[in-house]
Amino acid sequence: MNQSALAKEAEQSAEQKQPTAKPATQTGADGEQREDDQAEQAPPKKEPYTLPPDLAPEDTAIDVDNITVTYRAYTERPGTFKEIALNFIKERKARYYTTFDALSEVSFKVPKGKIVGFIGSNGAGKSTLLKTLSGVLKPASGIVTAKGRIDSLISLGSGFDREANAIENIYLYGSLHRVPRDVIKARVPKILAFAELEEFAYTPVRYYSSGMYARLGFACALDMNPDILLVDEVLAVGDERFRKRSREAMDNLLLSGKTIVMVSHAINMLRDFADIIGVLSKGKLIYYGDPFEAVKVYRDESYEVALDGKRLAKKPASKKPKS
Amino acid sequence: MTAHVIRTAGHYYDFLAAIYNYREYLKHSVIRDLRKKYKRSTLGYLWSMLNPLLLMIVLTVVFSKIMSHVETYSVFLFSSLLAWQYFVGTVTQSLSSIRANMKLIEQVPIPKFLFVLSIAVSNIVNFLLSLVPLLLVMVVVGRPIQWTVLLFPVMFIPLFLITIGFSLLFAVANVFFEDTTHLVRVVTHAWYYLTPILYGRDHIPASLESWIPFANPMFLVCEYMRDIFYYGNIPSLSAYLYSCCVGLAVLALALWIFHKCDDKFIYFV
Repeated sequence: MNQSALAKEAEQSAEQKQPTAKPATQTGADGEQREDDQAEQAPPKKEPYTLPPDLAPEDTAIDVDNITVTYRAYTERPGTFKEIALNFIKERKARYYTTFDALSEVSFKVPKGKIVGFIGSNGAGKSTLLKTLSGVLKPASGIVTAKGRIDSLISLGSGFDREANAIENIYLYGSLHRVPRDVIKARVPKILAFAELEEFAYTPVRYYSSGMYARLGFACALDMNPDILLVDEVLAVGDERFRKRSREAMDNLLLSGKTIVMVSHAINMLRDFADIIGVLSKGKLIYYGDPFEAVKVYRDESYEVALDGKRLAKKPASKKPKS
Repeated sequence: MTAHVIRTAGHYYDFLAAIYNYREYLKHSVIRDLRKKYKRSTLGYLWSMLNPLLLMIVLTVVFSKIMSHVETYSVFLFSSLLAWQYFVGTVTQSLSSIRANMKLIEQVPIPKFLFVLSIAVSNIVNFLLSLVPLLLVMVVVGRPIQWTVLLFPVMFIPLFLITIGFSLLFAVANVFFEDTTHLVRVVTHAWYYLTPILYGRDHIPASLESWIPFANPMFLVCEYMRDIFYYGNIPSLSAYLYSCCVGLAVLALALWIFHKCDDKFIYFV
């Protein structure tokens, strides 16, 4: 990929869009109106946002610089001493796996207080990206710089103790995120109210339905007051009413200057919700910028894989230059 | 290019800082471990006392004939056995601890040694509970309880260091080679017979006595428990310091390996 050409393009597109660009603001009322997230023609309610080509460090929430994450795909997992010993004896080359890059040379900046979405087909590296941002996965190379506390809604309630009740689990969740005990204590009623689980506060969560479990997880994560929230396909949790309130809660997070990074297959929902969308394809970030453009890129990419190489040259990419 | 992640949380493999930062989690985890252990049993925590007591009775019945020259063999055996039980219990439970917390590892960047630490700490409670039957047996068989039992916390320190060191080593090995579970079962069994639990220092040949106590880290620490509960002796300071150093060395090695592997666990669990 020609970086200088990209940079030029980015500048041009930024110039074109600059006059219309306004800081995107999300309101609670706005969230209420966006009920029908799965609908094909959900009208965009938010102000368009254009990513400036040179985002100032103080406006950057996460700076991802050229990260590569390499996985090993084991053909035959040599988990045992015996197998390894046998392989040694047979003098077979020690190659039980092939490596592949789940993410390769991905760079982007997440602006503070914005929603950034990532779309891509299965196996494009979306979940890997979130794991890298949250710090559970270290990239093989590259640097992730994040400002502030990150919390992830990757798999809801995964830190929960199934034998413990909701209140104990709220404390457990808080302790995992190093929130002081007295701070959590004050928040317990609020979390229970949000999850609508006051009635079952003393029931071990193993008796919960999956919806209740997920609601508790969602409520906990939202209430840990992270500076940056990573979300993986969880807005569809619970019933219609809970989803609506989740939206409102997320909008409130945005209002208080929080940054959200989301990954989803619900493309239309994401398009209306996000300020910036990145498109991942086979571990590469092929587009990063305007949501509507991104969805087009994604659709092209999924339906016309053959045109993969040409498309980048044709479309005005507003992908940010490498800094 | 080097892998590098800057986090506001600081370097989380700064172990002492990690323990402090995650102290609330550790507390939760210890309580959970304790509660889970006897959750569905009627006798509950009584098992922490009954279990070693019953094991001691069985071993006493079997070996007291052979060891008939040892006065109150039950106390002689029980005092060392408890130290060993703590060690082997912690090692065995730690083996699967990292894999068991896989879901957590995938969501929160948490230092993985905490899982092992939490097991070692919750087993302290079991250890303390099992001192109750030991003292009871001492009263019943008429072995005088001497002031040296108060040295228990001091004598526990090297045992704790050694236990957590080996638990971490085996736990990390088990992530990469699942066979470790089976191997550890055999190794601890052999180790058990190399440690003065069923027998005493007097029973081992002179040729071995010069080096076995130093080669086997568990040898001396099991003896300390026997010293303070059975003999009413104070172990020699030099031996005690040696045990502490061995414990620290094993722990340092284990933590170093953990540090090296902390980022790789997620690919294997």
